[in-house]
Amino acid sequence: MAQFHDLQVTDIQKTIRDAVIVTLKPAEGSDEAFAFTQGQYLTFRRKFDGEELRRSYSICAGLDDGVLQVGIKRVEGGAFSTFANEELQVGDTLQAMPPMGSFHTPLDGDQQRHYLGFAGGSGVTPVLSILKTTLAREPKSRFTLVYANRGVSSIMFREELEDLKNLHMGRLNVIHILESDAQEIDLFTGLVTQEKCTDLFRSWIDIDTVDTAFICGPEPMMLGIAAALRAHGMEEAQIKFELFASAQPGRLKHKIAPGETSSSANQASTAITLDGATQTITMGKDISILDAALQNAMDAPFACKAGVCSTCRCRVTEGEVEMVANHALEDYEVEKGYVLSCQSYPLTDRVAVDYDQ
Amino acid sequence: MSEEMTLDAYLAAGGILSNPTNVPPRYRAELMKLMATFVDSELAGSAGFADIVNEAPGLKERIAAARIVLEKAANADRVLAVMSEFSVDADRYATHHPWTARLARDADIGATRGDHDMRLAVFNYPLQGWTDAVVMNLLMGRAVAVQLAEFSLVSYQPLAETFRAIAPIEAHHAELAEEGLRKLLETGDGTKLQMSVDYWWPRVGQSFGVGQSQRFETLRAYGLRRTSNAELRERWTGETRAKLTDLGLQVP
Repeated sequence: MAQFHDLQVTDIQKTIRDAVIVTLKPAEGSDEAFAFTQGQYLTFRRKFDGEELRRSYSICAGLDDGVLQVGIKRVEGGAFSTFANEELQVGDTLQAMPPMGSFHTPLDGDQQRHYLGFAGGSGVTPVLSILKTTLAREPKSRFTLVYANRGVSSIMFREELEDLKNLHMGRLNVIHILESDAQEIDLFTGLVTQEKCTDLFRSWIDIDTVDTAFICGPEPMMLGIAAALRAHGMEEAQIKFELFASAQPGRLKHKIAPGETSSSANQASTAITLDGATQTITMGKDISILDAALQNAMDAPFACKAGVCSTCRCRVTEGEVEMVANHALEDYEVEKGYVLSCQSYPLTDRVAVDYDQ
Repeated sequence: MSEEMTLDAYLAAGGILSNPTNVPPRYRAELMKLMATFVDSELAGSAGFADIVNEAPGLKERIAAARIVLEKAANADRVLAVMSEFSVDADRYATHHPWTARLARDADIGATRGDHDMRLAVFNYPLQGWTDAVVMNLLMGRAVAVQLAEFSLVSYQPLAETFRAIAPIEAHHAELAEEGLRKLLETGDGTKLQMSVDYWWPRVGQSFGVGQSQRFETLRAYGLRRTSNAELRERWTGETRAKLTDLGLQVP
């Protein structure tokens, strides 16, 4: 199960106006846990207004850089990214889980491959880790990066990419696509869409030589690129995706409304929301929420019915339930009102749960 | 580039998710169910086959059966590793249930799952000796191949990759079964084999599930399914019928 470790902030660099590169040093004894693979991410936790928030940020360092670094771009209304950009100081301690993620392919120093990376905005962080590591560890391979940004001033790691081009002469090609700044070549202005990719494959990128493509950016951009790659004959297994949705909530939307205190009656009125529809049922307090839903012909999700797998997770939005066993949810999820419905029995006479949250 | 798009719209358009941090709640539940179904079926299948090892008629067959027991457990372990990124306690999961438990041979449960795990209904029926196990393994092995081809394209990339790695291993199990079956046919107990085919054919067929169009549409919108149950079953029926006919056996 997930375990958090302390990490000390040893350096903070502003790369562009609203993004920082944070260098971290694992606390004594945690070095091994933070050995990473290129393209992985760290999940941080921190309390905001007494409530725990978790956010994931990709590692931007290469395997041979000898440091652990993440890039954090400030997101409008994002609690963690604003904190990291405005308040975080060298010497502070952050908490994070060991690196996770499978946004990488195995490297082999004898191979001569052509990689194609697509990055949108801060989506460059894992791609930078991959391209640095690949160029260093596969000396015969080359890397083409298509890098989309709003304008010149919002390009993260612009100088670092220039340095890498010089360091690996002829093996790194970077194509900047800018949404609003005009460039000498018309093709390099605008959004990275399926059509744009098709144009790039016609004249600038020899798609037939590409072994593996990496895509990290906003959802519409990922869809367009993937469609173009597939249309040019790339297989599913050759396309690696990484998505950190812009829609992931930065803060809790709902507080649990306090229900009335428990009574002696052994019946509860339970409102169950599933797939956007709410059904209110009367149930015995000795029946689990999940069984009550299933008995009322609701297609509630479950698998193990033993409190282990968390498939049946739902959120209590009103009233109280007792969860008799929990081998899957973490404390912070329980604090937010999540329960395993297979293990939860109504305590109050009125209960509301939501499988859609 | 900055245009907003909901995850549901992204998924419906064929989008791929790559980590647990932002899977929508209902998608998460369906994904967990899919993984649990695979893990439970593999663990139940492995457990059921373990008893068969001692009934193997020769050393080569013994090795093949033991290998199937081992590899099905290992495949369950690979998918459990993906589940554990969703905070599932993998060690407890693998041991929380008596995977050897079976119903009576003549129980008739259709496609219904048991109350306590998500194994496919077919894994609730007991094997009766070596011949029966070989037939079941061939029919189910080919069904797994059809199902894995479908699930190797799910929208959760870490799982799709895991299934792509597992597919050739499972395919090999079906090849071992075919090899075993040919050997059994040489020694000539065709009637017994045919009886096992008659028993398992409808039960394996039911593992493709029944047509629930509403549910299928939901899964399709999530990118967790592409091909309907009926179509997958059709594919299996066609391929396996040809195989059985080639072996001189009949489809009931």
